[in-house]
Amino acid sequence: MATTACFIIVSRNDIPIYEAEVGVAAKREDSAQLHQFILHAALDIVQDLAWTTSAMYLKSVDRFNELVVSVYVTAGHTRFMLLHDSRNDDGIKSFFQEVHELYIKTLLNPLYLPGSRITSSHFDTKVRALARKYL
Amino acid sequence: MMDPAMTPLGQMLLEEITPVVMLLSTPSVEEASLKNGLSFLQTLTPFCSFNNIDVPVRTASDQPYRLHKFKLRLFYASDVRKPDMKVAKEQLKQVITEAGEKEFSESCSDVSEINHEFSSSSEYQNTPSWFRFLNKELVRVASFSDHEAFDHPVICLVAVSSKDEQPISRFVDLFNTNKLPSLLNDGAMDPKVSKRYLLVHDNQDGPADRASKILTDMRSTFGASDCSLLCINSSLDTPIKTQDNPWASYITDASPTPSQDLGCFLNIDDINEIKDLMQDLASKYIIPNMEQKIRLLNQQVSATRKGFKNQIKNLWWRKGKEDGADSLNGPTYDFNSIESQIRVLGDYAFMLRDYELALSNYRLISTDYKIDKAWKRYAGVQEMMGLTYFMLDQSRKEAEYCMENAFNTYLKLGSLGQLNATRCGLWWIEMLKARDQYKEAATVYFRICGEDILHSAVMLEQASYCYLLSKPSMLRKYGFHLVLSGEQYKKCDQIKHAIRTYRSALSVFRGTTWSYINDHVHFHIGQWYASLGMYDVAVKHMTEILACSHQSKTTQELFLGDFLQIVEKTGRMFEVTKLQLPVINISSLKVIFEDYRTFGTPSAANTREGLWRSLEEEMLPSFSAAKTNWLELQSKLIPKKHSQSNVCVVGEAVTVNIEFKNPLQISIPISGVTLVCKYSASTDDVRSDENESSVEKDNEVDHFGNMSSDSSSFMVSDVDFLLGGGETTMIQLSVTPRAEGSLEILGVRWKLSGTIVGFHNFKLGHPKKIIKGRRKKNHLPNEKFKFMVIKSIPKLQGSIHPLPGKTYAGDLRQLVLELRNPSEFPVKNLKMKISHPRFLIIGKQENMKSEFPACLRKRTVAVPSDVYANSNIMSDTVFLFPEGTSVQGETPFLWPLWFRAAVPGDTSLYMSIYYEMGDASSVIKYRTLRLHYNVQVLPSLDVSFQISPSRLKLQEFLVRLDVVNKTSSESFQVYQLSSVGLHWEISLLQAPDTIFPSQSLKAGQAISCFFTLKNSSRFLTLEDNISTLPVRSDVRLVPQSSEDLVYDINSAPLFNFHHYERLQQEVSYEGDLNTVDFVLISRPFKSNDDPGFPNPPHVMSHHACHFSTASTGPISWLVDGPQTLHHDFSASFCEISLKMHIYNSSGATAFVRIDTLDSAGNGGHMNSVNVVQSATTDNQAGWHDITPVNELKVTSNVLETQPGKAPSLESVSSYIWSGSISTNLHIDAMSSAEIPLQICVFSPGTYDLSNYVLNWKLPSNGKGDSDETRQHSGKCQGYKYYLTVLQST
Repeated sequence: MATTACFIIVSRNDIPIYEAEVGVAAKREDSAQLHQFILHAALDIVQDLAWTTSAMYLKSVDRFNELVVSVYVTAGHTRFMLLHDSRNDDGIKSFFQEVHELYIKTLLNPLYLPGSRITSSHFDTKVRALARKYL
Repeated sequence: MMDPAMTPLGQMLLEEITPVVMLLSTPSVEEASLKNGLSFLQTLTPFCSFNNIDVPVRTASDQPYRLHKFKLRLFYASDVRKPDMKVAKEQLKQVITEAGEKEFSESCSDVSEINHEFSSSSEYQNTPSWFRFLNKELVRVASFSDHEAFDHPVICLVAVSSKDEQPISRFVDLFNTNKLPSLLNDGAMDPKVSKRYLLVHDNQDGPADRASKILTDMRSTFGASDCSLLCINSSLDTPIKTQDNPWASYITDASPTPSQDLGCFLNIDDINEIKDLMQDLASKYIIPNMEQKIRLLNQQVSATRKGFKNQIKNLWWRKGKEDGADSLNGPTYDFNSIESQIRVLGDYAFMLRDYELALSNYRLISTDYKIDKAWKRYAGVQEMMGLTYFMLDQSRKEAEYCMENAFNTYLKLGSLGQLNATRCGLWWIEMLKARDQYKEAATVYFRICGEDILHSAVMLEQASYCYLLSKPSMLRKYGFHLVLSGEQYKKCDQIKHAIRTYRSALSVFRGTTWSYINDHVHFHIGQWYASLGMYDVAVKHMTEILACSHQSKTTQELFLGDFLQIVEKTGRMFEVTKLQLPVINISSLKVIFEDYRTFGTPSAANTREGLWRSLEEEMLPSFSAAKTNWLELQSKLIPKKHSQSNVCVVGEAVTVNIEFKNPLQISIPISGVTLVCKYSASTDDVRSDENESSVEKDNEVDHFGNMSSDSSSFMVSDVDFLLGGGETTMIQLSVTPRAEGSLEILGVRWKLSGTIVGFHNFKLGHPKKIIKGRRKKNHLPNEKFKFMVIKSIPKLQGSIHPLPGKTYAGDLRQLVLELRNPSEFPVKNLKMKISHPRFLIIGKQENMKSEFPACLRKRTVAVPSDVYANSNIMSDTVFLFPEGTSVQGETPFLWPLWFRAAVPGDTSLYMSIYYEMGDASSVIKYRTLRLHYNVQVLPSLDVSFQISPSRLKLQEFLVRLDVVNKTSSESFQVYQLSSVGLHWEISLLQAPDTIFPSQSLKAGQAISCFFTLKNSSRFLTLEDNISTLPVRSDVRLVPQSSEDLVYDINSAPLFNFHHYERLQQEVSYEGDLNTVDFVLISRPFKSNDDPGFPNPPHVMSHHACHFSTASTGPISWLVDGPQTLHHDFSASFCEISLKMHIYNSSGATAFVRIDTLDSAGNGGHMNSVNVVQSATTDNQAGWHDITPVNELKVTSNVLETQPGKAPSLESVSSYIWSGSISTNLHIDAMSSAEIPLQICVFSPGTYDLSNYVLNWKLPSNGKGDSDETRQHSGKCQGYKYYLTVLQST
């Protein structure tokens, strides 16, 4: 389990639609905004990188000091971004893949408008469970 | 790729890596030049850069080349040393602070933020100019390091004034080794610098005679070629006014003197002389000197280091040396060492732009330093290699690799190499920038950031600009680094810079949905502005973050606390147009106003308009008059010019419902919530439109602010409340106009925490959502908030009491409708309509006087019932109050209503009362009062009936009543059962005591009881029925007692309710005379005392309608005859006569045929199939037996078609029908007939005489065909009728 990990799903319009702090580290007051800043800035890199490869998992694309940003881009250009300080590439990849599955299930919900915020508590618990499992 | 020399880095290198001239001067020289406001160094500096020197240069190779641009760097000997870090830092800090002030004042004056659209334009348009200066200074700070040779003085210029005593000895003194810079003395630099002697003569001191004399002395002493004379200050009085003062651009940095005075005593000749001197110095001394040295060194290097032999030797030698010095800096090299000389050779070659030579030497030395672990020197050489590669414009990769290598090596040295690392980084960045690799440049900037916070702030900011300039521009990175930079600025108290960077970042983050980012930026800008005392701007930024529902509670408290503190500091009431706290749910906005529609209860206003419309449709005169053309009627209703806006009445409040939501977890006090309205006395639409446009132009806040000024024309309500964390509250606001004119609701204003005023303009919100469906949809949204105020007209107030909110099904009550008219004008022509006549019916005026449960009782004195007159009212049309009814003044107008809880469940009762104004002058001619009540009805008794015909008598039925108490706690007394209609007579089979031993039905209890029902009018038609006296149709189910009287089900309310129940429960067709309706009246048991029901019901009626008695079709019959008979069979067979009574209960003449079947022996057997058939075809109810089929071989087909031909010999019929085999007859409607039957019996026994079939047929009429349940013909098997015949003795 990573000490710091922040998971964000960013819609194709660059709007965060799901946010979760999944690290075990004690939460600092300003960490949330720092994480957002880093992930937000990393979008610039993703934007370039996403079109250079056909793989969905882009590995780590950006780093800020000790924090690394790993990104997974779905076919609909929704980006799963994970900010982490651990080096567990396989785990992160599996995490992304499983979250992708969950995300697709959410998309299949006829009451969910694609691109809107994911408020499902079921999704949230599942993601957190996956984070515990893989990260 | 442009020429490397033309790039910013190339320019910088050509300026910075140039030969150094060390200047030694006497005080009197300085004195002379200070007359011009310049030091001697400054006097010479402008003439040290040559744009077209055009000198041929021949270095190591034989091929000469020409230099065009050249530059010298002049330094006083005292400055030839490592710059003082502290001074440099202070200076830098000052520069930054000044820049901050300047930029800040600029940014405050014009609000326009950096538009990232023009990021395509060149770098220097976007980046602040002081960056360049700062970078240059940072590079300079790292100069005069002992590991580099390009700062070594190439030549020493010794200047002595002609005023000085003993000038020759002064020249010698000046170059005294004790005074020389330490670098020269400690062996890092070659102390044997070639010297040039300059005699300076001040023309103001007199003619140059003495000077020329000294010059000849000098020439003889130091050699003719090394000495020269410089005359300055030739201009006597008039200061020269040169257009371009050569010093202006050099001195502006620090000098306080105006640039005009600079060099005021130097005339053209002086300037030209200086120019010639410097050019001479460069072309005749410095360059040849350097050339010579390069050649010399090159020879040495070639001799000792070049060639295979030397390389091997060097390698071996170095290996041996390796064990020795192992310090961080590696071994020290003095200027004589071959390594230093190679470095000097390289640097000189670089300065003379023989980059190939420089590179080869750098390469040579780089490996040596690496092996020696002289890291700083190694890094320095790598750095130069990188630059050389760059200047050669070849092998970019190599160049970058070298720069990175150098940078990393410097960094490894820690604080020792920090300055050099910065310089190296800056060069590297410039190199990357020159190649448009801005992204990489930005990362280098990021890496430059060291311990010095201020420097890293500047570097981060520059990094951000690099991201902006990269293609495609990385705006998010730009924003992020600006924020990082701002943080650093803040840490070293450069608040203005911090604000500037954050403001720039805001241009990226504006409108972002990344909430934490948004909050962080706005909060800090707000805080910082507040710390500068600019509270207005601070508040503006702080308002952005108030609705931070995603933040933790402590953060929310912090935000709100800081915000309120800042607002407090402004010292005035702050007004904000878009205050986000609390959140207004604009879609919840609802405007309720009363024009011709008035609402008696608040819930009535919330009911759909369409519902009221359909209810009032028949009442409103316009609708009934011209229903076809609604367009016309609209214009008739209200004069055309007003038809655009809504109408409201003076003194009647217009209410607005708005939802306020607190997104925070902390509670916030809201006070003074009022509507902001605009009143104008004119009702003219055109005028008000003009006002409209002028208001739009005005500042909204202004208008919102002065709302209190004209409060005389309207009155607004004021609401205060505390909104808890996460709460949503619906607030009702109202405005009451006080004068005729036009009124417009502009928005809502409120006060947060008593200090800050927020506004919300309704129009600016979401106009689409503000649909108040009162008017046509094509209205402009603004029209919803515009009202035409008309003069006061009467308004009725109405209420119904005491209407129970919760009751049991069947509850019957008398209610009173109370109408009041507070105004002095009367209203007339009252009409009323009720949505649910099943629940609520209108009584009669005289009911007011009667006492409630008693008036339902049957009166002892028979009073002619007026029920049938009443039934005219009971249509669905409007109830008209009696002519002349007028409501006015304080006395309420009362009218009785009857209420009955018809079905369990929640029911909304709507009623609308129409009235017309007494005076016709008003715009509104009539109004309606709408009342809405909700009633919750709980289930009480579940009543069901079952009727089966009696087999003993025609027209008699057995009724079974099942009553179940469905309540949870209540007990009821089942009081009375009545059959409705005049020809039904009902009576009990058991005594009431046996049915209800406890006199009541407890909760959950079920009970059944039986009654006989008799049709008492068997031969009478419907018309006759009315005139006959009523038969006994009520049965009391409680023991007789004196005070309890029977309820009259023909009393008006019961009868009318029954009427609606009949309509509701209608299953059959009109005119079926064989149905019976029952009314069961129950009462709550006396002993009940339920606190949940403050107002328990007195009487409850349950209506069950349309129970058909004719279960076997319209024809019923009965076989009449003896049961037991004695006969002497020895004499003869026995002949028995029977009678069959047939009754036709249908309304038409029926054709009946009776067929007797003589398959006698089968009497007991053949029934099997037939009975089953008859049971199915006849819908037979009640009890009947089904004998199992005994003979399977007997098919039904045979039995059906040939019943008479199937007798078998062994089963001879025991009797035969002896009368006519088939009888046909017609029976009139509602009449009976009698036909004789006869059988012959041959032996004693018991006989079942069911061996006949009765066919009936009704004439089919067209309209009845649609009814599925109705039968037109049928076939009935005979009843079992047992006849016992005994042998008489």
